[in-house]
Amino acid sequence: MEARVSAITTPRNETAPHRRTKSYGFSRRSLGVELTSHFGCTPGQLTAVRIPTSRGIPKPRNLTEQVDPEHVALIVKKEWKLSYVTPLYQFRHTQLQSYSKQLASFLVAEKQQGVAVEVGQELGFKVVFTAALGLAETEDDAETVLIQIQSKSAFAAEGETAKVVWSGWLSCVSGDVEYLKALPPDFTCLPLFGTSGAESLTTLVMSWFERTFDCYFGPLGINSTNLEWLAALWTGCHSDTNIRYLKLAWTVPAQPPLDVSYTVHPQDAWELWDSIRQESGLRDTVDIEEVNCFIRGLESHFFRHFRIYLSAGTLTKVATSLGSAHKDGKIRIASSDMMTSVLALLTECALLKMPI
Amino acid sequence: MSLKPFNKLPELNTANVLLVENEERFQKKLADAIVLLENNVNVIVRLARSLPLPLENAESRPRIDLVVFIVHLNSEQSLLSAETSLKHLDSGYFLGKVCFLVTGARCGTLPYERLTSLKKMAATLNSPLLMTEDKTAEGVNTAAQRVLAVLRVAAGLVPMATGLYLSSLTRCTVPNDPDWQNQD
Repeated sequence: MEARVSAITTPRNETAPHRRTKSYGFSRRSLGVELTSHFGCTPGQLTAVRIPTSRGIPKPRNLTEQVDPEHVALIVKKEWKLSYVTPLYQFRHTQLQSYSKQLASFLVAEKQQGVAVEVGQELGFKVVFTAALGLAETEDDAETVLIQIQSKSAFAAEGETAKVVWSGWLSCVSGDVEYLKALPPDFTCLPLFGTSGAESLTTLVMSWFERTFDCYFGPLGINSTNLEWLAALWTGCHSDTNIRYLKLAWTVPAQPPLDVSYTVHPQDAWELWDSIRQESGLRDTVDIEEVNCFIRGLESHFFRHFRIYLSAGTLTKVATSLGSAHKDGKIRIASSDMMTSVLALLTECALLKMPI
Repeated sequence: MSLKPFNKLPELNTANVLLVENEERFQKKLADAIVLLENNVNVIVRLARSLPLPLENAESRPRIDLVVFIVHLNSEQSLLSAETSLKHLDSGYFLGKVCFLVTGARCGTLPYERLTSLKKMAATLNSPLLMTEDKTAEGVNTAAQRVLAVLRVAAGLVPMATGLYLSSLTRCTVPNDPDWQNQD
């Protein structure tokens, strides 16, 4: 009898320290219970993820009031290569100064590896970490961090400003609240990483982050559904700001392969989008069906003229004067008004890549 | 005119399979692999881009035991074409004589929505959904083996088993999906 009693009590004692991990697992599972979403499997890993089927209408937001215009200017107009990052362990926004020094010395050390005598002008790097306060949309979002690497030339003249050789940012805008809340307290989630500059520096910066914050980087492509969302999002802005053109590019697998570039007059695109919106009633949200309908409309117009099914190929690029996005994960944001909407969409893509 | 599963008599020791693929990229390779694999039974593979099949040789065409729809996830057109072809099948086929073959489900850059809508389609039609790899010879061989296993049953060559029985075990289901449960 006694043995049986102790056999019952032992696991009870053991479960106590596990409680936190348990509640953590539960909150993740509850991700899928929401009725507006549906499940899919991320290829390669067996995780159930949430794919939204409708979004709020993007509202142009004047960023210059909340965010330092200098910070906005750094992000706008450049082309960024996107990656996703798993949550950073023990990342502190208050420690940015010391991160700057650490990264700079890491870069110099890596560059000097295997070099007996330093030759050339790339003597040192100056790294600047800055927090772009105000970009976050909800209180769970971590503030965006901007990184700039300047090379210091040994023979630079006095007062000459250092040249920026690499820049990047880590961001999280309107991230999934349930995911962010379910993270253990020591983790900071900045899932979206944009880089612009030499590829070699990008890999060095990534490896420094991976060593320091125990995270993992991976390439972030923008799939055709998200490109379609962006096309619709930008077209919808035409009534407020002139988008000047809507350019779409497809690759059609034919012999020989066919690259189709399709430019639509902005007014025509807007009228098509507006008629779809009118038909489905004026609501505050945009459904995936409306976006599909918009793209199918453009495709069928193309078919009428050229007898080519664009849907047989893949959408590779979307561009307007407000910005452009490429399938391989390259993005350019030309207008600060729509920056948060675009970043929110990309944050969502990056969060879908997170291991759960 | 829709394709009917039971309006013709079966031939002795013969199984007929119809591969439907809009792109015509994979069906030839798969057909060769299927024919090479089976030695005991006379397997006849027929290829089509889409349904309905032409009327000219409708008379001489043997009874088709299994219709396989090949869908490439990298093009929307592939999915749409399979969807329109389905309308030209007699409902009798959905009692275990249809299966879906998907390629490219591993590719990370493709939209997840396509696979989800295909899964839903297969689930509504009570048909199995097979994930395959079309780039490697090994993948093609595996796909051929799987199709052949379904074909043998659908053609009535396996004693004590019927297509309906098999498909009730292997049909695609969409678990944990609230949207899907609501439709039920």
